[in-house]
Amino acid sequence: MHKRYLSAAMAAVVALALSACGGAAGGGSTGGATDAKGQTLNVWIMKGTNPDSEAFFDSVGQEFTKETGAKLNVEYVQWAGAHDRFVTAIAGSTTPDVAETGNTWTAEFADSGALAPIGDKVKEAGLDGDLVKGLAESGTYDGELYGMPWYAGVRSIIYRTDVFKELGLTPPTNWQELVNVATVIKTKRPDLIPFPVPGDAEMLAYPWVWGAGGDVSVQKGDNWESGLASDKAREGIRFYTDLATKHGFSTAGATTWKETDVLDNFTQGKVAMAISGSWTPATILAKAPALKGKLGAIPIPGKDGGISPSVLGGSHLSVFNTAKNKDLAWAFVKLMSTGKFAREWASKSGYFPGQKSLLDDTIKSDDPLVKSFAKQMVDGGASVPVTPKFGAVQAKKTTNSMIQAILSGQKTVDEATSSAAAEMDAIMNGKKTP
Amino acid sequence: MRHRSLSRRLVKAALVALLLAFTLFPAYWMISSSFDAQASSGGQSLLPQEFTLANYQYVLTEGGFGTFLRNSAVVAFFTVTISGIVALLAAVAVARFRFKFRTGILIMVLTVQMVPLEALVIPLFVQVRDLQLLNSLVGLVIVYLAFSLPFAIWMLRGFVAAVPVELEEAAYIDGASWGRMFRSVLLPLVAPGLVATSVFSFIVAWNEFIFAMTLLGGAAENYTVAIGLKQFFGVHANDWGPVMAASTIITIPVMVFFVLVQGKLSNGLVAGAVKG
Amino acid sequence: MTVGLKQPPVDEGRKPQPSAGGRPPKRRRLLTMAKARPWLLLAPALILLAGLLLWPLARVFIFSLQDYGLRQIVSGKTKFIGLDNYAEVFGDSSLWTVVLPNTIGFAIVAVASTVIFGTLVALLMASLSPLWRTVVGSAVMVAWAMPAVTGTYVWIWIFDADQGLVNATLKGLGLMDESFNWFTNPVTFYGIVALNIVHHGFPFVAITVLAGLLGVPKEMLEAAEMDGAGPIRRFFQITYPTIKPVFSVVVILSTIWDFKVFAQIYLMPGGSGSNREVLNLGVWSYVESFGQNRYGFGAAIAVLLTVLLLIITAIYVRTLFKEEKV
Repeated sequence: MHKRYLSAAMAAVVALALSACGGAAGGGSTGGATDAKGQTLNVWIMKGTNPDSEAFFDSVGQEFTKETGAKLNVEYVQWAGAHDRFVTAIAGSTTPDVAETGNTWTAEFADSGALAPIGDKVKEAGLDGDLVKGLAESGTYDGELYGMPWYAGVRSIIYRTDVFKELGLTPPTNWQELVNVATVIKTKRPDLIPFPVPGDAEMLAYPWVWGAGGDVSVQKGDNWESGLASDKAREGIRFYTDLATKHGFSTAGATTWKETDVLDNFTQGKVAMAISGSWTPATILAKAPALKGKLGAIPIPGKDGGISPSVLGGSHLSVFNTAKNKDLAWAFVKLMSTGKFAREWASKSGYFPGQKSLLDDTIKSDDPLVKSFAKQMVDGGASVPVTPKFGAVQAKKTTNSMIQAILSGQKTVDEATSSAAAEMDAIMNGKKTP
Repeated sequence: MRHRSLSRRLVKAALVALLLAFTLFPAYWMISSSFDAQASSGGQSLLPQEFTLANYQYVLTEGGFGTFLRNSAVVAFFTVTISGIVALLAAVAVARFRFKFRTGILIMVLTVQMVPLEALVIPLFVQVRDLQLLNSLVGLVIVYLAFSLPFAIWMLRGFVAAVPVELEEAAYIDGASWGRMFRSVLLPLVAPGLVATSVFSFIVAWNEFIFAMTLLGGAAENYTVAIGLKQFFGVHANDWGPVMAASTIITIPVMVFFVLVQGKLSNGLVAGAVKG
Repeated sequence: MTVGLKQPPVDEGRKPQPSAGGRPPKRRRLLTMAKARPWLLLAPALILLAGLLLWPLARVFIFSLQDYGLRQIVSGKTKFIGLDNYAEVFGDSSLWTVVLPNTIGFAIVAVASTVIFGTLVALLMASLSPLWRTVVGSAVMVAWAMPAVTGTYVWIWIFDADQGLVNATLKGLGLMDESFNWFTNPVTFYGIVALNIVHHGFPFVAITVLAGLLGVPKEMLEAAEMDGAGPIRRFFQITYPTIKPVFSVVVILSTIWDFKVFAQIYLMPGGSGSNREVLNLGVWSYVESFGQNRYGFGAAIAVLLTVLLLIITAIYVRTLFKEEKV
């Protein structure tokens, strides 16, 4: 059962957590041969629920200029709508030199011919043995590496320890307990949203599908078959949406919320528990210092105990074909994904690094918050289907529409899952070629 | 009789009050929230609970709306000026000359007004890309010209036709060349029409959304106000104070412009559009 | 700068068209010059219109016959698939159950409300003293001036489920127990869009109709009042026939604007694709093209929208050309 959803990525993490991995590439000095005085490297970095990273990139920029002589120009792009932005840029050949690409998008962009292969450079730099396997796999298209693993992230449940203490609650360890705990919060602290169920955030829905033993989509021969309409998946989705529609743990507004809205409301102190990324506690504390010491995290509970797997997400750094100076682009990628800056990025943001050697350190952290997320990652990480087509499914908002239609009462769970599964199959099997 | 007229006046006063409330409320609410430090934390009341200018400060510095305003002003200026000139020339041609295909051209001008811009996003995107003008304000100005021209030609045609031919002939008798006549007779008389058309070109340039979103793509430093606001909202969806402050900033220039040209506008509409 | 300072040249159209080229030409060189002049004057406009409207219009049709995706755009290769895209558009059940009803139904409701409301406002304004007319006129201008994007966010804010004024007021009055999300239900969603569109669109109608109303000869109205005609009869018997051309213009222009409404839907919560029940032709075309990289399919939807509007345009042109010969 575990094997079904435990992705290759996680198998790798587990394996590496056991093995003592000697630190590979560490030092900061990268391609010193690159001299690019007067040039500018344009980079897109995503932003959304992660902590503000401008200060970090200022220091990256300084180091970059010191090493290569070129200027670094970072553009911050919202996750929401970023896929469309990329696609439009690819169509218009206005892509940046380097960009952070969501790990489910890299193959799709490579498929369109927009990305430059980087496998040789990785080998040359001796990094190929040190990449986190899951991320390296999703960055590979047609046997060639296009996305340099940069970081991984995973979502668990974060909660307000002060509220739990006040009401004498202990964090839930299975689905029934989650309902019980939320019921107490709902009655005793009506000013709080016990557990928001956002209608425009697919990543927060998958854990329940997997937790009930269902699948998002599995490959059978040449075909992909969506499992969303299976009994097990429906059970999970029903449980998840019932939290809002039956138990009233969410709010009416959440039906149209994105993940950023969940975070905003948590930051404003209006939410007791929520599914949230490993990178969000840092964001919350930066915006609302009053919540310091009041944040806890637990892995998403399994149906009858254990852990409900959640998406092992992450980002690559990809070099675009529009980059004039590919060596310069690679120098930046290397600077970012190895050594000092990779470590700093991971520790400040709450992401897990894309290099095995660095990941190992993070997982061994003593921080209770990091520990919970690390546990989710190691024991309950899963992956959405690895295919260029899944990016199109995400852009179509198939899963989001499904959840939203259930929350708003437009469709029953059975109707919504059936149409979502059909749509997913149609897109992923190329009936509608993206 | 007097009683009846009094009650009639009361009804009218009530209607005016209702109308004013409906027309002004969104603008009022926008401005009021923008000054309210509590706007993002719920519990709204009709008056700001805690007056602040911080929202504006934030929007103009961190939000980057200074840049967006400048970009929009540049785009609007060139769109208005160029479309005014080009449309006036064309309007003179169709209103003052008889030539082959004249009616055909008029029908075409009328018809292209009706083409849905959304339908042209894809080909124009490809076209602007081929010109290598994506992410640039020049590309946007060119596209906006195309959108504002048909309506401007159509409206100005009415104005030019309204200028008595006798005036032109008098100028010729005084020995003026055609160009001279154009400058000193025609141009001053159609100036009100130019104002009316410039309002429409200005609205196109200031408010247009879908092309700005598509053609400017990732070039945030070239964003116009409409698309800048969309981006800002993406980051600050739940911070209504700053969002409303940003909205106010981009609305005020248009409002001032509109109220100033109010009289000219209505004349222009009647002369141009209605005479059609 | 007050209304009516300059006489709107309403009856100029009845005048015979001036003969060509100003004064009669004296020499042959002048003759050719006079012949060339209109074309010289027209050239910039024609070049712009042809390059930026007509050619793209032809191209959108060409694209609609292709499997035109990201790869084709990047590589420049074409792959014609005949009418497959159209077959898919018309075969999609949501076109008939969601998209077309939303597009057409909304346009009808929005146009009717905008024109009726705008006309009523114009009638009210016409009966006001000049001072109040200016006050109301300025308020109307304020509504008009609010850019579509801004206006949309303000309405979203007013109807926001958690912090919005409407829910707060209804709850405060005890009319509502639980917050209601106005954006998830297609009817309330389009209700808000309609409010937004009417608020933004009625000023054009009001101002245009008002200008027309002020041109209606007072004597006729007074004469009719003497004969005992009530205000409603006076409106339909005298005012309406006089300003009928004004109405055909505002109706057609409003129809065209409301068919194409995009930003007001795209920016609303759920409007950019996640709420399938609220798609209209414009948004559908956009999300299929720029979200799914299916530019050919999106182009086919765009062609459908264009054809719908061209039919309306044909009616418009015919009405106008019947009213008065150009």
